[in-house]
This record gives sequence, C-alpha cells and structure tokens, in this order.
Amino acid sequence: MKIKIWTFSLLLTILIPHLTNAQEVNKAVINSELNGLIVDQTTKNPLEGVNIVIKGTTNQTVSDDKGVFHLKTGQKFPYVLQLSLVGYKTAEIKVDESPVNIELIPVSQNLTDVVVVGYGTQRRKDLTGSVVSVPKENLQQPVASFDNALAGAVTGVQVTQSSGQPGASSSIRIRGGNSITGSNEPLYVIDGFIVYNDNSSASAGGAYSGASLNVLSTVNPGDIESVEVLKDASATAIYGSRGANGVIIITTQKGKKNKDVVSYQGTYGWQEIRKKLPLLNAKQWASLRNDITGSLGSSAAFTQDQIDQLGAGTDWQSAALRKGQIQNHQISINGGDNKTRYAISGNYFSQDGIVLNTGFKRYSSRINLERTVSNNFKIGVNLIGAHVEQSGITSTTGNNLAPNSWVQILEATPVDSIFTSDGSYNYALKYSPNLTNGITPNPIADLTETTNKTSTNRILGNFYAEYKIFDGLVAKLNAGADLLNTKQNYYAPYKTTVGLANGGYGQVGTVNVNSWQSEYTLNYTKTIQNDHFLNVLVGYTTQKSNGELSRATATNFPSDLTTFNSLQSGTASLPYSDAYKTVLNSYLGRVNYSYLHRYNLTASLRADGSSRFSSSNRWGYFPSVGFSWNASDESFLQPVKAISNLKFRASYGATGNQEIGNYQFLSLLSPFNYSFNGSLVTAYAPQNLANANLKWEKTKQFNVGFDLGLLKNRVNLTADYYVKKTSDLLLNVPIETTFGYSSVLQNIGEVQNKGLELALNVQVLEGGWNSVHWNTAVNFSLNRNKVLSLAPSLDQFFPTLPSGTLQVLNPIIVSVGQPLGTFYGYQTDGIMQTGDDVSTIAKPSWITTNYQAGDRKYVDQDGNGVVNANDRAVLGNAQPKFIYGFSNTLSYKGFDLFVLLQGSYGNKIYNALKQQLEITTLSTNVLANQAGRWTTTNPSNDVPRATSSPVAVVSDRNIESGSYARIKTLTVGYTFPVRLTSSKTIDLRVFATGQNLFTWTKYSGYDPEVNSFEQTSLYQGIDYGAYPSAKNYNFGLKATF
Amino acid sequence: MKKSIIYLSLVVATACNKLDVTPQGSISSDQFYQTESDAISAVNAVYGSLTYDPSDQSLYGRNLYFLTDMGTDYAAAGASAINANVRAISALSYDANNDRVALAWKQIYRGIDRANLAIDNVPSSSTPDAEKTRLINESKFIRALLYFDAVQLWGPVPLVLHESESLDANSLKSTRSSRDSVYKQIIADLTDALALPSAYSGSDIGRATSGAANSLLAKVYLVRKDYTNAIKYAKAVVDNRTTYGYDLFTNFYDAFNPATKNGKEHIFSAQFSKGQSGSSSNTGNTFPACSFNGFTQVETADIVSDVSFYNLYDNTDQRKKGSYSYGYLNPSTSSYFAYTGKPRFRKYVDTTYFTSLQSYAPINFPIIRYADVLLVLAEAINEQSGPTSDAYEALNEVRRRAYGLPIYTSGSTADLSGLSQDQLRQAIRKERLLEFVQEGQRWFDLVRWGTLVSATQNITGKTGVTAKDTLYPIPQSLRDLNPDGLWQNGGY
Repeated sequence: MKIKIWTFSLLLTILIPHLTNAQEVNKAVINSELNGLIVDQTTKNPLEGVNIVIKGTTNQTVSDDKGVFHLKTGQKFPYVLQLSLVGYKTAEIKVDESPVNIELIPVSQNLTDVVVVGYGTQRRKDLTGSVVSVPKENLQQPVASFDNALAGAVTGVQVTQSSGQPGASSSIRIRGGNSITGSNEPLYVIDGFIVYNDNSSASAGGAYSGASLNVLSTVNPGDIESVEVLKDASATAIYGSRGANGVIIITTQKGKKNKDVVSYQGTYGWQEIRKKLPLLNAKQWASLRNDITGSLGSSAAFTQDQIDQLGAGTDWQSAALRKGQIQNHQISINGGDNKTRYAISGNYFSQDGIVLNTGFKRYSSRINLERTVSNNFKIGVNLIGAHVEQSGITSTTGNNLAPNSWVQILEATPVDSIFTSDGSYNYALKYSPNLTNGITPNPIADLTETTNKTSTNRILGNFYAEYKIFDGLVAKLNAGADLLNTKQNYYAPYKTTVGLANGGYGQVGTVNVNSWQSEYTLNYTKTIQNDHFLNVLVGYTTQKSNGELSRATATNFPSDLTTFNSLQSGTASLPYSDAYKTVLNSYLGRVNYSYLHRYNLTASLRADGSSRFSSSNRWGYFPSVGFSWNASDESFLQPVKAISNLKFRASYGATGNQEIGNYQFLSLLSPFNYSFNGSLVTAYAPQNLANANLKWEKTKQFNVGFDLGLLKNRVNLTADYYVKKTSDLLLNVPIETTFGYSSVLQNIGEVQNKGLELALNVQVLEGGWNSVHWNTAVNFSLNRNKVLSLAPSLDQFFPTLPSGTLQVLNPIIVSVGQPLGTFYGYQTDGIMQTGDDVSTIAKPSWITTNYQAGDRKYVDQDGNGVVNANDRAVLGNAQPKFIYGFSNTLSYKGFDLFVLLQGSYGNKIYNALKQQLEITTLSTNVLANQAGRWTTTNPSNDVPRATSSPVAVVSDRNIESGSYARIKTLTVGYTFPVRLTSSKTIDLRVFATGQNLFTWTKYSGYDPEVNSFEQTSLYQGIDYGAYPSAKNYNFGLKATF
Repeated sequence: MKKSIIYLSLVVATACNKLDVTPQGSISSDQFYQTESDAISAVNAVYGSLTYDPSDQSLYGRNLYFLTDMGTDYAAAGASAINANVRAISALSYDANNDRVALAWKQIYRGIDRANLAIDNVPSSSTPDAEKTRLINESKFIRALLYFDAVQLWGPVPLVLHESESLDANSLKSTRSSRDSVYKQIIADLTDALALPSAYSGSDIGRATSGAANSLLAKVYLVRKDYTNAIKYAKAVVDNRTTYGYDLFTNFYDAFNPATKNGKEHIFSAQFSKGQSGSSSNTGNTFPACSFNGFTQVETADIVSDVSFYNLYDNTDQRKKGSYSYGYLNPSTSSYFAYTGKPRFRKYVDTTYFTSLQSYAPINFPIIRYADVLLVLAEAINEQSGPTSDAYEALNEVRRRAYGLPIYTSGSTADLSGLSQDQLRQAIRKERLLEFVQEGQRWFDLVRWGTLVSATQNITGKTGVTAKDTLYPIPQSLRDLNPDGLWQNGGY
C-alpha cells in the first residue's frame, strides 16, 4: 500500500503542475489546434496518460483514456512534440498538420522509470541495490499461487514446489540458504504489509494432516500488478532483522484516473499426471513373492499355473488418478476521477487434483481505494479477502510404513482387486499387512473416504493517510491487519488404515494467526539546483502477532455418519491448545542522495527490537550502504554509441534472521502425561536449556554488479556478484546428551553463500520484419554454499529428521567445509555373485542372516572388513550448481507467444520413495525393476535377490541427479483488433496455455521439483512419497470493456 | 502542521507494543517449582522419562530392550525390524555409531536430569514437608535406577547430579566417573529412598516404595557381589512380604495382564495406560506392536532367535504359553490363527485389543517383580553359602508357581533339591532365563555371570559376540563432542 502512495504522489507531483500550465496557455493567442491519437505500437491499444509537450515550450497536455489529446497553441505548424509515458520509449515527432496518429514503442519492463523498493519507490536509474522485477508474462499464468510463477523468472531466486498437490507450498531461496536451524524463506511485503510466510500458520497439526497449505495462495495472482525481488543488503537492510533471506514485494493493481475499465478473464483446463512410476504387475509380483517365501525356506504361495493366469492384475496407481479440472474466473473493475481511484476484483479458482479426492479452491475479492481529501491530504485503503480450501492426501502410520496415503496406493499388491464383484470396495485384500478384525483397508477407499480438508480465511487490509506538511515533506501513517483463520477437518472412517487402528478417527483443528502492523514515516525530498537530489526517510513501525491453535481428536466412533462434526460421539483424546504472541518494534531511516542522477548513494539503518530475545539482547542494528554510478552519462562514454546504458553498483550491509519461533531464550516446560495405576497424571519437563544471550543471526552481504544497455537498450545485461556471510547462526548446537538435552540453541557458527547472477534481455525484433516483436530473456544464477564453522569441538553433526521411517536413517550431514543439504550414506558396490568368496567381502553390520550371493555389496571405506557407520561417505548435495530460466515473448499483429524454459543443474535428490519401493516384502508392491532381481540364472549386478528383509540404509543408489530442464509455461494468444472509430472499444484476447509440458531429467521419481519436508532448512531435496506432479492445459479468454 | 505532528506522535506513543511477552501456552522454568502441584508434576516427569520420548520410542518397554534383550542370546530382530541399528544389535555387530545405544544414553540421562531438577527444586516449593521428602526420595529412586542401568551398560559413566547452569562449552563436557563412585551414589540415593512409604493408595499406586528401594538395593549389591547386603535387602522384602503385600501371582500371565497391573507381584513397573503420551505418533506402550503385527505370517519385529529357547520349557510350565505364542483366536473370525516358523513373543500382547498396531495397549512394563527378588535372594545365598534351604526355597517358590502348584507347599514335583553349589547356580540361571523373557534382565544377568559370550556365540545370527560386548560403546556422537572426558570402552 505504501508503494501505491509513493507511485501516486510521484504521479501527482508530475502531473498537477503540468495540467495547470496547460489551462493557462488556453487563454493565449491560438495559431494552431492539434488533435491526435496515441496507440501502443504492438497492440494498437490507445494509450492514456501520455505526456505531450511541444518542444521548446511549456505547452503540454495528457492523453485521455481513448488515447486522444487536443492542443491549442500559439505555435505554427510544423513543430516537434515530445511524448513520454512510463513503460514506453520517449519519442520526438515532427507534426505538420492536424489530426495526427502516433505510435509509441513499449520498452522492456526493467527499464521503466520507477521501481518499488522497501518503504517507497525509487527511480531505477538511481538504484544502488540489487532489485529485480518479475516480468509480467511470468505472472500472468493460471497458477494457484504467485510463488509458483516465480520459478525461472529472475536471477537469484530458486523456487521448489514441495509436491504436485494443488495448493502445495513452495520453498524459496534467494541467493541460497543462510540459516541451519532458522527459516530460510524470504520476507513478503504485500501492499506494504509485512508477512512472514510460515505454512504452520495455517496448520493445526495432528498426526495425519499431511502436507501443509500454501498460505500465499490466499493472494489471487490475478490481482498482482508487480512483484519485485530485493536481494542485496542495500535493498533489504531496511527490513533489518527479517531481511537476510531476501524480500519479495507484491503490489496489487490500482485504479486509474478518468476511466472505468471492466475486464473479465476466464480459463478452463485440465491437468493429468506427468509420469507414472513403473511397478510390478500381478504376474511379476506373484513370482517375487514366491522368491521371498523361498528365501525364507517356506513353500511358494503361487503355483506356476496360478502365476500364468494372473496377467497384469490391478493398476492401483492409475485407479487413484484422474484428469483434474482447472477453472479460473476473474472480474475486475478499475477506475477513478481526479479525487478518487478504485480497483475492485473478484476471483474464483478451482483446481481438482490428479489424485482422487484432492483439490484446491479459492474465492477472493479485493478493494483498493484512494481518496484525495485536500491538496495535501490523502487517504486510502487496501483490502484483500480470501477463502481457500484444500483437500489433500493424508499422512499415515500403517504397518507397511507408507508415509502417506499415496504411497499406500503404490504399495498395494497388484494381485488384489480394488472392488468386489458387486462393485463395492474390496476390504479383504489378501496380502495387506493391516488386517484388523477381519478387515483390511483398501488404499483407494482410504483416498476417497477420508476427509482431510483445510479451509483458510484471510483478511489482509490496511489503511493509510498521507499528509504533505510542506513541499517535499510528507508524513504518512499506515496501519493494517492480517487476519488468518484456518479450520482443519479430518475424518478417517472405520474401514480406512487410520480408522481401523483407531476405530474411526476424527479431528478438528483451528488456527488463528492475527498480525497487526502500524507504520509512521516522514519522507523528505529536495532537489537543489537541479544537480543534487535528496530523499530522506525516517520511520517507526510496530508489528504484533498473536497465534492461537486448538485441536481436538476423538476415536472409536460407533458410526461414521457424523464424521468430524460430532467428536463427542467417539472417545475423546486429550485436547490440545497453544498460543503465542510476538512483537517487533523498529526504527528505520534511509538517505538517498544523487548527484546529477549519475552518482548515487543509498544509506539505510534499521533498529529492531524483538520479543523473541531476552531484554539484554533485544535490539539489533542493521546498516547498509550502496553506491551506483551511471557511467554512460559521463562525457567520455557519450561517443560510444553502442552503449546506451552502463551502470556500476556496489553495496554492503547487514541483515538479520529471527525465525526460530517464540520464547526460545527461555527454558520452557512442556506437559505430557504419565499414569499411576491407570490414572493419567500431568508431568512438566523442561524442553530446553535457557539461553538469555540469544540474539539475531546476522548476515553481512557484499554485492557488486553492473547494468549494461547496448544498441539503444535493445540488449540489456545485468550481472551481480555477491558474498554473504552469516554469523552468530541461531544453531541448535548438539551437546552431550549427558546433560539431559540433545542440543541447545546458541548463536554460533558461520555459513557462507557466494554467487554470480547474469540476466540478459534482448529485443531481437522491434516490429521489424513484418512487425514482429520478439523479446528473449535469459537468466542464470549460481550459488555456492558452505558451512564455515560450527561450534567449538563440533565439526559435524547429523540432524534427526522429524519422524517416520527416515528418522533412524540420518541421511543428512552438516559438516564444516560442506554445503548445507549434504547427503551422507553408504556407497554400493554391486551384487555378490555366485562363486564370490564371501569371506573377502565386507559384511554389513545389519545383516542378521547369512550374507550370500545375490545380496548387495557396500564399499568398506575404512577397510576393516565390516560395513558399518564408519563407512558412510558424502553422497551429494541438494543444492544446485546453477539454476536458469529462458523465456521468449513473441508477438505478430494480434498473435502473441510466451515460452518459459526453466531448470536446475547439479542438485541431488534423496529418493526415499525409491528406497522404500525397492524393499521387497510379502505384503507390498515394489518398483518394476525388481522383476530383474538377482537369481542364480539372472546374475544381476543391480537388483539384489528377493528377501523379506526390509532394512533401509541410505546409499548412493537412492541419491539421484535432480537436474532438470522443463518447459514450465507455453502460452499462445490472439487479441482481436481494436476498432478506433467506434465509441465503444472492446478488447478480446483468447489464449491457450500449458504448464510442465516437457521435462528433461534423469530423475527416476515423479518430479525433480520436490521437497517432502517443505520449508525446513535442513531437509531440502528429499522425496518421500510426495504427491505426483501434473502437466496442465488451459484455454481462456480475456475481455476488457 | 504542528497539530498533525502532535497527533502523529500521539498515535506513535499509543501504538508502541511492549517487547516483554510472557509465554501463553507454556510455562517457563523460572515460573515453575513453586507450588505443591508444580512439585508433583515435576516428579511425574521423572517417572515419565521411563515411558515417554516426544520423538522416539520409550526407554522402558522399547529402547532399553534392544540393549538388554536383543543384544543377548534369546532375542533377535525379526523380518519387520526396519532399523539397521536394531539389526546390528541383534547380530552383535553394532558399533559406537549405533543410534539405539545413543538413544538409550540420551533417555537415561534425560531422566537423570529431571530427577536432578526435582531433587534441587522441590525443596523450595510450597509443598508440605512430608510430601516434599517423599517426592525427593521418589526422584532419588528413579535416579538410582537409571544410574544402575547406565553403569551396567557402559561401565564408568559421568556422574551428573545437578542441571548445568552454564552453556559454556567446557561446562557441557562430562567426565566418566569410576564405577565405585557411581555405585556409591546409587546406594546413597536408594538408602534415602528406603524412607519411602511401603505402599500407596488410589491414584498414587505405582509410585516408588520402600519395598522397591530394598529390592533395587538387593540387585545392586548382587552385581557388586556384596552378597551379605544383597541377602539383607532381598530378605527385607521377602521376610516382610505380607507387610508389603507382595506375593507371586498364581497365574503367571497376570504379571502382564492390564487388568491386574500393579498387583501383588509388581514391586516397581513402568506404567502404561490408554491415552498416555508414548511418543510423537503413538500412545500407550509401543512395545506390543513389535510382538503382534496382525493376523499375518509376516514375522514380527521382535522374535525369538532360535526355537530352542521355546523348547527349553516343559509343557506343564505355564511360562511357556505366558512368554511365547504359536497363535491366537482371531475375535472377528472366531477362528484360531496359527503362526508358522518361530513362535511369537506373548507377554505384551493385549488380547482384549487386537488391532494391527497394538499401540495403545495399557500393559505395564515390570521393572522389578517379586519373582525377581526371590531369584536374587536364591542367587546371593547360593553364591555366599552354597545350596542352603533358604536358597532352594526362594527358587522353588518361583518354580512352583510356574508349574501351577501351591507356592508355599514345599516338596512339590517342581522343587529342586540336592544340587551342588554350581548345579544350583546353573539352575537359578536357567530359571531367570525362563522367567524373564522380554523383561530387560537377560543382558544384565549374562554380564553379571560373565557368560554373555559363551551363551551367545553359538546362536545363529549372533556369532559376532565378543568380550567387548559386555559393555556398550560410548556413543560416537558424544565422543565427537568430548573425546577426552568420554574415553571409549575397549574394543570399539
């Protein structure tokens, strides 16, 4: 919202005096009258707000909403008009007569004059920091949430969707991850309101709730006018303690003067699975099971005749999938007059998941309103209201150790049928390990019969008032609230995996996270002798957040009819509730000084006081300084015609991170219960040692870069190099458990990120060659992350994964000298073959039976003859060597085309799903490659013999390349020509767009974009049964009245 | 203009939020240990360390079992055991990186820390003096129990008696204390705990008693080979069994029946109850799920290593069916489901609650049973004085119950007599094996007798056992932090 004010105040200061001048001229002698029409050269749409000046005079006007302008002047024809409009090339045109038709040439967005920065806007030319705007084309995709659209759009931003589930969260890393224990997600500023994106703020928890809802999906992407990414310290230090992970500023669309524009955009499409996993068919599985029982010395369950009759059997995976429909409808009305501007919109978005009974819906509306009360007083409001619903797959804790209901589908044996002969679900799966009271769960019924729904309401609104105290000094108040209320409903009927274990399982949960923010700023702008430009900002802000969570669970329901709506029908478990409050008070200041708009300096300082730290360490100070030099303005470069723009930038500053949760400096007691003779009693035990010295995690970042424009800015290159050093890490330092705790949160250790970013934008064709416009943009980012130090006498540690099967595996090592996200485990060494001398082969310590031909061999790193934990080695890293995006925008007359290719190179994925689906048991299906298992007649060196031995160890077999390149988006559109003579103009655009259409990767899982552990800093790049990804096709139209 | 500035500064002043925020959903330690109920819930947490881990399986009833049973001759990791570390213990091929060993250390010392906190902080609470003393002595009993486990599992272990007040790296480094000093502390704590009540009523039943302190002292002295004191404290229990209300159950399985929990044979148990915090995902005792995984032939995670251990029992010995099972009546089909292959463990399977998970079974884990005290007494007397009638009587009472005979009628068909000291020694040792399947006794017994290697080395899948296995390794993750203070046991 703040941003909006800035834009308007700038516009006003530019426009108002000019309008006044124009009126004065009208009274003068008139020698000529000029009527004209101004349109966009590409789209032929009329252009409103073009500033038209007769060169050499003060006589000027502005075009209206139909692109029309009138000038009365004392000048005689011919004379020269100077035309300027934000987003278009400034033009000088000689006119000989009236009327005149003029076409303006759009310029690529990153050259527009004004860019949104923290607490204001700045001329792009004066910028000293690394601020990048997300191109409009990337934002205009039918996605559930705008963060889905950021992948590949700009440099330095790595976006990884946690899974393919509709409404799934993304993890975003701007210039790599700084923190080991704290969060690495960037800060979001939505119309001036600061939002820390924490998906737990929409999750009531609970054992089975599954992946979390993406809270950012409450913001309708169609409402977004611009997204700016702030990367270096000069840009982010104004956000102080929350700036270290980068800042993403979102500005929603605002109303424009003198024009009521009604537009409707609708898309309809569908999505389908991108790739299925190959699993054993019935015949192959029966044969495998026979081999397993054989290895146990038992008799075969299937005769060869039976196997021959089995055929393919049931394809559970396909049965659980569907084509999911996607719909998106948006109506927006924008307009205004001299004193009031408004923008209203409504949106409905619905996406059915490709997995049965999953999906996402959003209903949202928005009002932005601004009123100029008097010449020096302005008020406004921005309000977003949204309701989102997500139905997802559920977590499970069944005996087959599947982490969620999707993996249960994959593990269902193909010899069992889904339905009985009468068409009802088959609840007597012969090989299910979950037999209870004569009933087995049916994985498909688990999906369709279980309710797992999260509904979130968000109201994000703020009010602002701006008062011009005197020319150049503006006081501003900005106060708002972000109310996020979530209800989660879960019910597993009796005949589901969870239901059978609990006699039916119902849970409801609510989470309310309410945040209040007020900002008071004074902004002083002064121009001295047209050479010195000064802008000073000082301010105070305070933000308070309250969180409340409650959850109630019941089991043993006599009837499934009332589901979660009548927990009192079942047997209640202990209810759960929690609450927190957090406060951040801040003072901020910034000075922008520019000499001739050629030598620019930005210095900023923020002081943050946080309730998350003890009173002695509460305040942190975050300064930054940045310089830039527009070298192309220097006389010595003027003769070099090829160089149209050359700017050098350098910045240094400090930012912080406080995302460790609340009250962590205290020793908190957590309740649990014990029982005496069957009566539960409450026990209180401390969870952690107190640390009153806890303070900010500090990141110091150095950035140098340049912006180069060639050939009249048809070619633009931006390059940045940065070094970030994060010290006083908020690190859960492992301590000797002898003292009662496994770790203590301390400010210790250092992490470094350094990297290089290159963005190249080329206007290949500018309307030449049969009026084709072709813009191509390439971005390339590389980041190198390294742990520089941990605690004294601590060189490495193995973080424990939250829970589940992976908990005992320790797949991750944090080690000095290694990057974060390093995978650690055993190196495999093929399969032991018949005739190999078993005494010469190091035996794994976990083998309890005979180690024999057909078993997997592992590298005995220390050569002591036994494979044990000392033989583990670094197996790869979840961090990419580089990421890239390559986009092309083409237009030809009414046709337009947008293609975005995006990818990642060099990162590894721990495919824990594959690990699980290669464990052969008597009761679960496995990957199709197990059909090629080792037998005496098939001496495979890849897949071991069949055993009933479900021991999982982390090995290089499951650390796979996560490199990929994909056509993320392909859009083709056609805009109907506009009839200029008509009194009414209607723009109509029809388009088709597809996402994830093509992917090139060697990754064997569903999708290389995966993060089963979502936003956690330590467990990136792990695929543990994530919801499979989809490709989608959408058709839409947009009408503007 | 001035007015607006004044207004603005007013708004600023009123909008200032205080940075001092008190936790709402949690209590911080400086607010705690003040009232009587604070003191009680702090001591409840000491007990809770036996049965609850927020992120893993419980110490008693699960993790300790790996070290005390799976690392011995009779118990092994079955096909459903998914943790390579568990399998390594079963195969006696574990090393210092074993996660179960590290977890046992962590859980034991977490309990010790909570006992330390209670012992140091309960005195300043507003609790009536008598109750204060009782709560402190209960904490001392648990601290002694956990140190007794630790000193047997690892030998010399750090003796931590107060919570660390400093986060300084050096003050968070421990030093292994001598066995003698650890035992001295254990005996001191248990001697204090002798002042505990002999019994409780109502919802206090299950707290540590003076009988439990006497019994544990007897066990401690037995390990120390101080047979005089072992006999003294065991007799303090056996001779006063009517005062305490201790006796053997007629029906052996009643020792594990949820309906008869905290009965006459239970001197001290880790308490499990339905709805109790067990671990992050399970409530109640997680142990049973490892003995029963549905009506399926898929082998359970816990399994007997060799059927010969099942065959050791006479068919008339009720412990055979009380400890092992070859099948159950499936209540939903009303048909008997028979296991093929090895028998399954029986003690912790709740047949009133046959679900695939069994995660809610409210079966207590017996830490000291009266039968244990009798066998401790028999062993101590035999070691000190040879096969006396007192030694025979203690042993035979256990045997008579096993064979369903009147417990206190001597001369029964189950009675042993006329053995040499060594024959009686072997008889007592065999009796302990038969009696305490899955009860966390076997490894301690074998190490006390010096027979771990000889008993285990010929069992399939366990041939890797060596003399080093009579102590578990100091977890490597701790040695990485403190290599000097935590020197490693031999052989690792």
